[in-house]
Amino acid sequence: MPQVGQGVLKGMGITLKHLFEKKITRQYPEYKRTLPERSRGLLTVDMDRCIACLQCMRVCPDHCISIEMQKRDIDGSGKPKPYAVGFVIDDSRCMYCSLCVEVCPVNCIYHTEEFEAQAYNRLELARQFGERPVDPTVDPKPAMKKKKKATAKKAPRTVERPVSERDDAA
Amino acid sequence: MLEEERVVESAALGGRATDRLTNPYVRDEFGLETIDLNVGPQHPAMHGLLRLIVELDGETIVRCDPVMGYLHRCQEKIAENRMYPAVIPMTDRLDYFANMHMEHGYCLAVEDLMGLEIPPRADAIRVLMCELMRLASHLPSIGFLLLELGAFTPILYAFRERERIQTIFEAVTGARMMFHYIRIGGVKADLPADIPQKIWEYIESLEANFDRDFVDLIQGNEIFQTRTRGIGKVTQEEAIEMGLTGPPLRCTGVDFDVRIDYPYSWYPNVTFDVVTDTEGDAEAAYRVRIGEVRQSIKIIKQVLENMPAGAVMGDVPRRIRPSEGEGFGRVESPRGEFAVHVVSDGSDVPYRVHYRDPSFVNMQFLQEILPGHYLPDLMPIMGIVDPVSGGWDK
Amino acid sequence: MIDTLLGYYNQEPFRFLTAFGAILFLALNLAAILTMSERKVAGYIQGRFGPNRVWPRGLLQPAADVVKLFTKENLSPSGSDLWIFLAAPIAMFIPAATIWLVVPFAPGLVIADLNIALLFFISITSIGALGVIMAGYGSRSNFSLLGALRGAGQLISYEVPLILSLLGITILSGSMSLVDVVDAQAGGFWNWYIWFQLPMFIAFYVAGIAEVKRIPFDLPEGESEIVGGFMVEYSGMTWALIQASEFALMGLMSAIGVTLFFGGWQPPLEFLDLGTFNWIWFGLKTSLIMFTFLWIRWTLPRLRMDQLMDLGWKVLVPLTILWLFVTAGAVLVFPSFFG
Repeated sequence: MPQVGQGVLKGMGITLKHLFEKKITRQYPEYKRTLPERSRGLLTVDMDRCIACLQCMRVCPDHCISIEMQKRDIDGSGKPKPYAVGFVIDDSRCMYCSLCVEVCPVNCIYHTEEFEAQAYNRLELARQFGERPVDPTVDPKPAMKKKKKATAKKAPRTVERPVSERDDAA
Repeated sequence: MLEEERVVESAALGGRATDRLTNPYVRDEFGLETIDLNVGPQHPAMHGLLRLIVELDGETIVRCDPVMGYLHRCQEKIAENRMYPAVIPMTDRLDYFANMHMEHGYCLAVEDLMGLEIPPRADAIRVLMCELMRLASHLPSIGFLLLELGAFTPILYAFRERERIQTIFEAVTGARMMFHYIRIGGVKADLPADIPQKIWEYIESLEANFDRDFVDLIQGNEIFQTRTRGIGKVTQEEAIEMGLTGPPLRCTGVDFDVRIDYPYSWYPNVTFDVVTDTEGDAEAAYRVRIGEVRQSIKIIKQVLENMPAGAVMGDVPRRIRPSEGEGFGRVESPRGEFAVHVVSDGSDVPYRVHYRDPSFVNMQFLQEILPGHYLPDLMPIMGIVDPVSGGWDK
Repeated sequence: MIDTLLGYYNQEPFRFLTAFGAILFLALNLAAILTMSERKVAGYIQGRFGPNRVWPRGLLQPAADVVKLFTKENLSPSGSDLWIFLAAPIAMFIPAATIWLVVPFAPGLVIADLNIALLFFISITSIGALGVIMAGYGSRSNFSLLGALRGAGQLISYEVPLILSLLGITILSGSMSLVDVVDAQAGGFWNWYIWFQLPMFIAFYVAGIAEVKRIPFDLPEGESEIVGGFMVEYSGMTWALIQASEFALMGLMSAIGVTLFFGGWQPPLEFLDLGTFNWIWFGLKTSLIMFTFLWIRWTLPRLRMDQLMDLGWKVLVPLTILWLFVTAGAVLVFPSFFG
């Protein structure tokens, strides 16, 4: 059986104090805070630097980058080099994990500070960066080669269960 | 209600599923029948998407069937087709209130598989981030317990603190919630230069507010005490038999904490107490979480004072392709013991990844303990376990 | 000519229609203002601003809410008993609106000076309980049924302390008319009944919160367990009417409490008497009590059903009966002081 007494009144005193304290809300569209420099917003590509290595497409866990590659002679040296003629980033799939940013060898794909990615249509969220539009609804299935040569230094072993001295089931 | 009475009453009402298949409207000798209430997946207080099929006799719960799977995203299967580093952002999304611990568990498993050495500074940063994450998880846990009891204010104070912690995380990792910071072999990047000072200031402001907003407002409140005292009482033997870990286990008196019993990372270099309580009810679980917040603050201060210098990423090969074998890593997440078992067959992608999530295992507590309690007691009992639906559903 | 017009206007149908319009206007506007003030107070307690977009500073939020609710569809579950389902909000709104007839706002400013006003108050409040049961039963949903049965138990149980707490006032003032009760508290704040009847006021206040189904007694509505309880299947204007009745009843309980215990429209000190403008004092005191309703709602958790019943029957009823005997004894032994 509850008896209203010291605890309830003390709690109500605390909420009354909060009533008169400074509020912590920031009114969003009128006030936008400065984001820290590492913050990960929408992705963007600098197409001038892209060498169409397809690493970002392969590493993306959500398959949101789709690249159509052609061999083209861009710098006039006579040798056709890989060139990304179509590059689409699907914002509706991207999870901002920044794996593509880390793996890019020429640092051409990077996060901006924008985060407001609203659209009226899901297909509008797929941003095209190349000359030719790529269909974002087709899942780019990058071929995953299952190589067998190990790079780790240890010899194969199976795990032995770590036992603590309090474990009496062992 | 005693065990025998529970079984007898259930038999009087027609027993379990077999009888209800032949005769759905089973009445007992007084002509009364029970209601089936679908405390359904869409519910403000089910900690996500849990469906509890509750059989009620008036206000008393006679039987409770949890139905899980409404948030199942096939994480373990998808991980079989993603390269080892690409699985880390997916582990972020397991128990989304304790992202750092999930990443940490997976990375410990892969490092165990590959036999990697982690530099001490990386270990210290990992522990710092995990303890900050524990703060950011326990405070909303207390808030959610009170939200479901009907007090709408402490959760907003909890989320005020969590927002401040998330701002620190954003400065360190770049994202407020899905961090992708702990990597195989270390952490992604060193702390920015002004972060240790910012963490000190935050800890001092938390200590100033914590007692007023979370302890004084709640602990002495008679209504809170009546709602949580003696509810969901469980003994030590029952808790160990059910496989509980974390605050539900420690509130019964068993002092099992993965950080002390199977130490990992930088934890051997910090001193802290394991918070236990003897009662085993919902109020004890609340006190255990309050105690753990205080211990986390102690750990954070020790790590900030003794942070070693050095590199933050160990000697990791460029392509992570472990040889055949298995790796196992376990961490103490805010909800209990989180463990990852990784099996490799020598290729770029894991052969099998298995997550032992504490919310999944602690969920059987509901089915065992609820019969005999009233329907409103469902809320403090879920507050003991505090499951997160990303955890039990993966 | 104006005299004849006024004389004509003083006839029965017009007086009735004016009174009817006045109480509907009062009840509905009070409900609207209370929704906004509840959200603002909630926000301020929780360290945030409440709604502050609708000009100015969020004070016209109820207008936006009303427009939204008018345009929403009024759903009803299939298989529900439609007559009972739609009549329930009306049944809940009747006490919240009708009892304003007997509340005195200022000297001479009362719509109906009944000499059994307290009896009127008690009897009409019971219709609210009936409305809750109708809403829960007519919704054909297990959640609503639970909410309705909890509501039935709670509302009927807490009417007993509510009624018993009024009896002390009746003994002290010698009349059941609210105008007489206010007149008997004239002469400064030391004459108000709160000082002698403090336990009765506590019982009335707690029973008042229970009658309005607010936290800590909002189990019929149980937002966290049975998600809306008896009103889970209502939407649009039917739901708005239930909410309006809850807020108007909350204002009503505050108003009756102020009338009975805090002197009604009486100013705290004699020289602050404003004549017909004493409704300002009435308004201030009622607002203060309404603020405490809101303050309690956003601080405390809710009680479980059996704990709620324990509080009502085992704590409040003995308290009121005991104090009733104390009051009666005091009036017998010291008739000049308490007369």
